[in-house]
Amino acid sequence: MTLQIQNLGRRVGKQWIVRHLNLQVDNSECVALVGPSGCGKSSTLRLIAGLDSVSEGEIILDQANVTHAPATQRAVGMVFQSYALLPHLSVKANLDLGLRVRGVRASERQQRIQAILDLVQLQDRSEVLPAQLSGGQRQRVALARALLRDPDVYLLDEPMSNLDAQLREELRPELRRLVLDRHKPVIYVTHDQHEAMAIADRIAVLHSGRIQQVATPADLYHRPETLFIAKFIGRPQINCFKPKDGAICAVRPESLFFANEGLPCKLISREWLGSSQLLYLDSPHGSLRLSCSTTMEIPETVHVSWHSSDEHHFDATTGRRLT
Amino acid sequence: MIAFLLLPALLLLLVVFVGPLFRYAWLSFHADSVVTGLIAIPNGGANWLRLVQDQRFWQDLGQTLRFSGVSVGLELILALMIALLLDQRWRGRDVVRTLTLIPWALPTTVMALGWRWIFNTPYGPIDHFTRMIGIGSLNILGDPHFTWMATVWADVWKTTPFAALILLAGLQTIPVDLYEAVRLEGGNAMVCLRRITLPLLRPYILLALLFRLAQAFGVFDLIQVLTGGGPASSTESVALYAYWNALRFLDFGYSATIIMASFILISLICVVAWILLQIIIPTHSKSQAVVEP
Repeated sequence: MTLQIQNLGRRVGKQWIVRHLNLQVDNSECVALVGPSGCGKSSTLRLIAGLDSVSEGEIILDQANVTHAPATQRAVGMVFQSYALLPHLSVKANLDLGLRVRGVRASERQQRIQAILDLVQLQDRSEVLPAQLSGGQRQRVALARALLRDPDVYLLDEPMSNLDAQLREELRPELRRLVLDRHKPVIYVTHDQHEAMAIADRIAVLHSGRIQQVATPADLYHRPETLFIAKFIGRPQINCFKPKDGAICAVRPESLFFANEGLPCKLISREWLGSSQLLYLDSPHGSLRLSCSTTMEIPETVHVSWHSSDEHHFDATTGRRLT
Repeated sequence: MIAFLLLPALLLLLVVFVGPLFRYAWLSFHADSVVTGLIAIPNGGANWLRLVQDQRFWQDLGQTLRFSGVSVGLELILALMIALLLDQRWRGRDVVRTLTLIPWALPTTVMALGWRWIFNTPYGPIDHFTRMIGIGSLNILGDPHFTWMATVWADVWKTTPFAALILLAGLQTIPVDLYEAVRLEGGNAMVCLRRITLPLLRPYILLALLFRLAQAFGVFDLIQVLTGGGPASSTESVALYAYWNALRFLDFGYSATIIMASFILISLICVVAWILLQIIIPTHSKSQAVVEP
């Protein structure tokens, strides 16, 4: 089972929401769509689900062209940001609705719902209304519904953005295990680059409706194709020097180190991050971020240097990577 | 502080609602007519006994119930269809939304006069049309078989927009992604209507139903202008009968009795309608969804 997106585009009026989208997601692979809000990541998901109409390009699911198939006929398991559980139905009835619509026999439905509730550990909450569940439990019901659908592709639209940071971290491995165990392609939309790096096998970075780069988290971090990606991926943010000869040089905060000779800098402020500390420095090339060990004592003025192999160079006008 | 701020509203309610209600209750146990020189004289349950034996009252009650039931039923069905249509996105929707409200914005007397002309025999357009297609003159406002339908029609025409407005407001509270989720599960439009729209719209349907039932049961101006209760009191409503007793026969005691009786009846009807609606559209299906085939 693979999902292939070829030159996909959607136009509303004269404006292209997304365009020239090419992406392939394999079995048991999780691809994260990341980008700032309004970049078209949710729109892309809605195109794949069939909730919006495609203006150009093709969506191929398991060798079948589903570009213009109605949503009701695509085997798509989607988890909505809002969870989209029917508020007047119990957890069990919410899960039952889809099975019943698809004509599954009563005894089998009962059995499958029980099994899925066991899997997401909500056995004792089956008769409860969604409003009586916690955010994390609701998210698990929404996930259970998608799993019950036994779809050809899983689409997760910011499934954790309504949960608090700690719960998100706890649920991440669980979510990955539950979904990837099904051996289907998974697309995970998030605006959180940190979450994308943690959960996805590959990441597609979207900007103004275009995919800028599709790569593994490590490649994306170490070899960003555009200045936008370099700035978007990785916290604390990458340091960009002023353009020189039509090129911008950028260096990650952890690639900077103190040296006897180098850029003379003045310490502006420091942030304690637990395992490391982040220094804000004022240099002749503008302000710099430097991340270093917390045990280090920092004098008022320091000299900062870096290896030239840690430099990233981008075209100042197009933002494309040079070499 | 809050109690103090509520005082004006409470006073108003007391003066225009609770006060008259107690006055009518009191009056219904008194003879107060031209015969008594318009002085209230206690007469025990004589008014109520008369009411129970009054053929005309029972006939009017039946007619009022028929009018209310048929017109509110039709209105709700039409209003739901209109609201669903106006909730969709299409070109010109906002203009139509505004236009839809015009019948409701017209004063009842004006629109009733309008319909009286439309239904007029032989000068109205409907009579002209039926003669043209060969059915002949129906004499809508003169034949008791048709006259009550004409009153229902005019009422539906005027008040459907109001019910549609309430239902439209309700529709807009339903999140779109619920429909999308059910569609992705394979559910068609019918499943969406039965499983999402109707259950989540229930409080709004209830609101429209109760508003309209109470209003229709007390119908007065429409009938007074359109038919005057005729022909042969075949469209007379309870409210019209109470009005005639009070202002034509100057029998205030008996009129108060009719009003009290209809007050009690409409209260009961609202409770029954509410219970019926609970049964027709259940909110919590719970395990029922799994058990039934």
